[in-house]
Amino acid sequence: MSASAKLAVAPGSSTAYQSGDWRSEQPLYRDKWPPCSQTCPAAEDIQAWLALASDQQWQAAWRTLTERNPFPATMGRICYHPCESGCNRKHLDSAVNIHGMERYLGDLAIAEGWQHKLLTEISQSQRIAVVGAGPAGLSCAFQLARRGYPVTIFDAQSTPGGTLSSGIPDYRLPKSVLQGEIDAILALGVQLKLNTRIGIEISADSLREDFDAVFLAVGALQPRTYPDDGYGSHSVMSGVDFLRRINAGESLSLPKHVAVIGGGNTAIDAARCARRLGAEVTVVCPQDPHGSHHHQQGTEMPASLREVVEAETEGVNFRYRAGVRRLVRSGEHLSGIEVARVDQVHDRHGHFNPLLFEGTEELVPAGLAVFAIGQEADWYGLEDLSQAGEKSGVWIGGDAAGKPRLAASAVGSGYQAAMSIIATLKDESFVSDTHKKAQIIFKQMQLHYYPKQPRREGEINQQRLTGFDEVNKGLVDGDAEHEAGRCLSCGVCFECDNCWHFCPDAAVIKKESGYEIDYDYCKGCGICAQECPCGHIDMKPVAE
Amino acid sequence: MDKRDPFRHNVLTSGHRACSGCGEAMAARMVTDLIGPDAIYVNATGCLQVFTTHNQQSAWQAPWIHSVFANAAAVASGVEAALRAKGKETPVVVQAGDGGTFDIGLQCLSGMIERGHDVLFVCYDNEAYMNTGVQRSSSTPHAVRTTTSPPGRLSQGKHHLKKDVISIIAAHHLPYAATATVAYFPDLKAKVEKAMTIKGPRFLHILSPCPLGWEHDSALSVTVSRLAVETGLFPLVELEHGELTGVMRLAAQRPVEEYLRPQGRFKHLFGSKEGAVELRHLQALADARIRRYGLLSADTEWDTESVAQVQRHGRGGYVSAPQEMDDER
Repeated sequence: MSASAKLAVAPGSSTAYQSGDWRSEQPLYRDKWPPCSQTCPAAEDIQAWLALASDQQWQAAWRTLTERNPFPATMGRICYHPCESGCNRKHLDSAVNIHGMERYLGDLAIAEGWQHKLLTEISQSQRIAVVGAGPAGLSCAFQLARRGYPVTIFDAQSTPGGTLSSGIPDYRLPKSVLQGEIDAILALGVQLKLNTRIGIEISADSLREDFDAVFLAVGALQPRTYPDDGYGSHSVMSGVDFLRRINAGESLSLPKHVAVIGGGNTAIDAARCARRLGAEVTVVCPQDPHGSHHHQQGTEMPASLREVVEAETEGVNFRYRAGVRRLVRSGEHLSGIEVARVDQVHDRHGHFNPLLFEGTEELVPAGLAVFAIGQEADWYGLEDLSQAGEKSGVWIGGDAAGKPRLAASAVGSGYQAAMSIIATLKDESFVSDTHKKAQIIFKQMQLHYYPKQPRREGEINQQRLTGFDEVNKGLVDGDAEHEAGRCLSCGVCFECDNCWHFCPDAAVIKKESGYEIDYDYCKGCGICAQECPCGHIDMKPVAE
Repeated sequence: MDKRDPFRHNVLTSGHRACSGCGEAMAARMVTDLIGPDAIYVNATGCLQVFTTHNQQSAWQAPWIHSVFANAAAVASGVEAALRAKGKETPVVVQAGDGGTFDIGLQCLSGMIERGHDVLFVCYDNEAYMNTGVQRSSSTPHAVRTTTSPPGRLSQGKHHLKKDVISIIAAHHLPYAATATVAYFPDLKAKVEKAMTIKGPRFLHILSPCPLGWEHDSALSVTVSRLAVETGLFPLVELEHGELTGVMRLAAQRPVEEYLRPQGRFKHLFGSKEGAVELRHLQALADARIRRYGLLSADTEWDTESVAQVQRHGRGGYVSAPQEMDDER
């Protein structure tokens, strides 16, 4: 309609005039992908479940969370929560206690006996084998079972959980919590065959004959070893074996001094366990402490800062930039390890190959040396399977795939594998789950609209060295609501009404849920986008 | 009637001809939706009257009357007296710009208050005569460029100070007078609702940014209005019977430069010695207002931070409810 045609009007409402014609830019409501979810290895929609939790829709929050991660009580305890490092709220006061909320929902689900729901009534006929009942295998089985696929998990151990069970001490993750979440997955009809090692009890070939797809999630349980003939004795052990024996309930009696060699989380776990068994513990770490190189990867110790701080609180000693030169024995017994100053951790090819300076040797007294210097997958009996590839119906995930070794990464890879398996079985193409939504950083938001609210934590057990009781207590009821309410809802509308109040043209219409822009009248002034606290509204030029 | 929005009446509805980003259209829509359609609105001449009643098309979804520039308060006095004579309690509201309040309408307004008419007078202050082409008014702040106060060799914009109209009004010892602005909806809502519970003459002075005359980006109307408060240049206060009864505390004071920078009407002050003097003058005016009203020291939780804060699912809307819609269904 031309402008002159609209000028000839009879008395009436101004709504006959469409002021939207003036617009050169138009506002668009667009969900963004917040940094917590960008950084979550399991790609949880954290904003969505925190929003439900802040409305105290606890079960709905748990269901949204478990869309991607069936282990909230477990991960809420042990995950090193990269989500919180990403959280935009740290630019206002401090990050939302996301791991505390995750644990709260997971614990509530176990206490209330909430059961996962099947996503379909249809039962599929194609059978899937999962090798390894760790976080990757269980996550994959969970996603497949919910979608109607019969799944059987095989595990060589006598208990399910993989590293979650054999590698994580009780003071970080009580066994009952893990078992509760595994039980909920098995309740979907997943078959679990324990004490069954593929390649020994069942041949790899028969597995491929009996099943339409195989997911290998065997973990990385084979420790890298220090060249010494005393392994397995009472004076030299790998971190993996040390933790497995403690987690299996074996009562180890330790010498007065224990040295743990390594800078990763397994080393810290081993050191804290040894403290609890009464030893004086020194961690010998080739890297520098946290914060000494502006968090540059490779030069700072890879263990989680929080774990290191807790270990220090518990009296664990740290020797940084130190490498083992030799084990010092007197007769059968270990009397200590000789360490020397590490110059560079990696050689010029980027390989881990510490250079030790001659003449800087010192003796660290130790009756037991625990080497936690890395671990890898044990492919014995699975060599052919591991080489088969997805086109032949074999997928690999979790630690065994050599991905970043966070439990949440394993959960994420289990999800990805399940989606890929289903797509392949249905003869569809699999589109990897990378989120198409735009990312959002705090500079695109109006932080002044949010109240400052201090972060709340769970209590810490002060009697921690007397046993393996859990160190960190969870959030209590009121604190959980508080923390959920602290979420800034980055890039996702939380119905604050700003756009609706501020539109000078009454062109923002409030709905039962959310808002709609009436483009007949929107003049494109941009106030709604400017004043949207969470950056949900974009301005886009109008195409002529 | 236009009933597109189920959660408010839109007393001032869409299709009006206000400029993109108009602070006055925003303020008037907020105020009239807070009062509702069951009131008689008297409008002085000014932007609001012009842009809402263009070419025989009205944006008003409530009884609305316009006469001339000077006499809105006198017309409202007559409307109120007539309603009283008929035993009716329909609220009467005057809406005027700064021209119709500070300058041309001041005498009639003073008379209306002095006679004690039960009328709410709302001034939407955009600090100049905008729809006629940005001429200075007695509300235009010091050192502002308008078409009739151009900066040059002999002046740095307007010589004179902004008229302290709220003090003039408060000197009438009327039951309620308050200042507000669009950036703080909960504050504006509280003041309108409070004004509507009081009998007698009441006055609301609402700072309403004008992207055209203030020469800022149309998206910044709310931001600029917030900065006017946070710098101390526009104190948000309540006065009852001449006494100061409420202030919105500044959680932190911002330098006036933050308010002045985005606005082209102050552009000439940056980059010259003479301009620098006026910048210091404007800062001193803000400091004086902060001292006068105790904006940094007031003992109140009602501050620029707490009032601006948003909540999931909002902080409350409008009284102008959609019941009529249900009747028609």
